[in-house]
Amino acid sequence: MTTQNETLPYEVGRLTRGWIAMVAVLLILMGVGGYAYYLQFTQGEIVTGLRNLGTMGGATWGLYIVFLVYFIGLSFTGISIAAMIRLLGLEKIKPIARMAETMTVIALILGAMTIMVDVGQPLRAMVNLFRYARPGSPFFGTFTLVIAGYLFASQIYLYLDGRRDAAILAKKPGRFQRFFRLWAAGYKGTPAEKKRHNQASFWMAIAIVPLLITAHSTLGFVFGLQAGRPGWFSALQAPEFVALAGVSGFGLLICIAAIIRKVLNAEEKLNQDVFEWLGNFLMFLIVAYLYFMVVEWLTATYSSGGAEASVSNALFTGEYAWMYWLTVATLLIPFGLLVYQFIFKRYRLAWIVASGFMVNIAAVVKRYLIVVPSQTHGTLLPYGIGSYSPTWVEYAVVLGIFAFGTLMFVLFIKIFPIMNIPENSEGGE
Amino acid sequence: MRKKLTSLLVVLGFALQGISFFFLAAPLGLSTSEADSNPVMPFAPVVFIVGVGMVFVAAVVYELLPENSDE
Amino acid sequence: MTRYGMVIDLNRCTGCRACMTACKVENNTPQANFWMNVFRFEENEYPNTRVWFMPRPCMHCNNAACVKVCPTGARFKREDGLTLTDWERCIGCRYCEVACPYGVNYFNWKAPEENQYLDWDDAELVTELGNDGLPYANPDLELSYGPEDRFTAGGGHYKGVVEKCTFCVHRLENDLIPACADNCPTDVINFGDLDDPSSKVSMLLGEKPSYRLLEDVGTDPNVYYIGGTPPNSETRQIEEIKVRV
Repeated sequence: MTTQNETLPYEVGRLTRGWIAMVAVLLILMGVGGYAYYLQFTQGEIVTGLRNLGTMGGATWGLYIVFLVYFIGLSFTGISIAAMIRLLGLEKIKPIARMAETMTVIALILGAMTIMVDVGQPLRAMVNLFRYARPGSPFFGTFTLVIAGYLFASQIYLYLDGRRDAAILAKKPGRFQRFFRLWAAGYKGTPAEKKRHNQASFWMAIAIVPLLITAHSTLGFVFGLQAGRPGWFSALQAPEFVALAGVSGFGLLICIAAIIRKVLNAEEKLNQDVFEWLGNFLMFLIVAYLYFMVVEWLTATYSSGGAEASVSNALFTGEYAWMYWLTVATLLIPFGLLVYQFIFKRYRLAWIVASGFMVNIAAVVKRYLIVVPSQTHGTLLPYGIGSYSPTWVEYAVVLGIFAFGTLMFVLFIKIFPIMNIPENSEGGE
Repeated sequence: MRKKLTSLLVVLGFALQGISFFFLAAPLGLSTSEADSNPVMPFAPVVFIVGVGMVFVAAVVYELLPENSDE
Repeated sequence: MTRYGMVIDLNRCTGCRACMTACKVENNTPQANFWMNVFRFEENEYPNTRVWFMPRPCMHCNNAACVKVCPTGARFKREDGLTLTDWERCIGCRYCEVACPYGVNYFNWKAPEENQYLDWDDAELVTELGNDGLPYANPDLELSYGPEDRFTAGGGHYKGVVEKCTFCVHRLENDLIPACADNCPTDVINFGDLDDPSSKVSMLLGEKPSYRLLEDVGTDPNVYYIGGTPPNSETRQIEEIKVRV
């Protein structure tokens, strides 16, 4: 790890050619997504593949809701890592704390955007949700706790956690000096301040863990409380959402950490230990989720009839079978890789990263399988089988949202160190 | 002073959440009339969100507020 | 207290789908939206086949799943039992649609077109109709109803909102019965006050055995069926309505 005296650490403020090219690509993707959304906004959701249930034989919630669930799931990581560092004293994963928190904040913003692109009247939604939102609707939790509360809490965590580094950087002259000074807000690194930060982050960690469980559960309740939708109505839905949120969040964090390690040459800081820990933790989350999946599978097939059977047949052997078994494969293969490494203590970075990537495929596809089949195959009245295939507009909008998130991330990297500045660095304690 | 303000924010935040959820927003339970679909007070959900926000702003207050006579 | 409901006598239904047409004309619903939908069913194998028809309006449930999940209260219950959508408040999240076990909600996927079924500006048509106003423009659909003056009547007002059967709230307010019940040639659809023991619907329910659709979901619907049995997993649609916009 180099300690730079003139330049800021972790390539903050330094624009490389590759970075600019990446931003350009992201802007193009955002442009395509923006155009697609413009079409949808002006013409209505007729341009999507979504249609009404029943006599139109479609799915009324589709790719947007899939990615809403996915994005909100990703937000699991930041807070849980921050809380674990504080509550369990896991100092060795500290280097990934800030990137996890950043990911959480961005994922939640993307989640909010996905809601807005999904609703038919987004301008009304922005007012009416604040004006009328009913606690009786399961969506209330998603809207108030997840999008508003959780986002706010993560930002505060990110802010408070970054004050020490901002104070260090504020001593160096440069374009961002004023910004860092503002962020540091008078932080000097005195023992009293450190103690105070420790106390505050401890209590926040305690307060935030229940919020974490509640927030991800409320998203599960959006589906799990619907008695009229076979395949959704299940007490397992809420815990399952929490588990899969963890799986996808940690999986993506592994990927991001690996990319940052490569780009910033941070092999020393983001060492094997960090990835081993992430891999092992991911393994336990996958175990938990696989357990839920088996329970769900058994419940859905053992004695089911009618619409319940129609949904499960479509899932396990019918139209969606390839997706279902793809999910199983992309969960079992990472699980096998991670267990092997865990037992024989032979860790390979490439395997861990591959696992992280695969579980994200599993997470997206599994969300699709939660959202769509219950609508196309789960009508309780004999409407017949429906179908849904997303149009290019939906793909483009989702891709644009992804690009926006990535852009926010790479911009953040350039204005603030993505990892904590080591203790011994100049101007430190 | 700092600690008092922090605790006050936390308590007030949770209180606002509770009050908004149970009393100011649209009533929970079976809805039988038009009135049940409206919040008791318009923009009650904002009160709830402000409550959630206050609980976490307390942490910022705790860290940023200059030390006073106590401690 | 009034509790509006329907009693649908399946023994009389011939599956003519006049109610569907009446509903479309009355409520100006967008293309491919069937607030009233008549299933044409077939059961068992030859030679034991049984063919029967089942009109499916909105059930106006007392414990409506759509009302419970609506995030903004755009879907609400009225004291007279109607379950209505305030299309001035709806944000178009379509949660009601996935929550409803009966599939009665329709989202407006595109901006409503005035000339969706017929070119009303056609010169020949204009001379024939004169200037009495165009048939699609029923001014009652644009009015607000109920104690809170909410906009609930008719369909095709905005793109991006959900609409569904209103039991023709604009007709009820003018002491008329819903268009489907009024137009049925064989008196299948009986409409009235279920809380009034002397109303025809109450008498029918007293005389004959009845059932409601998907009672085990717990929605407590206000639409009753007499004659036959509820559709089961063996019931097939003869002519499946699968129209999309």
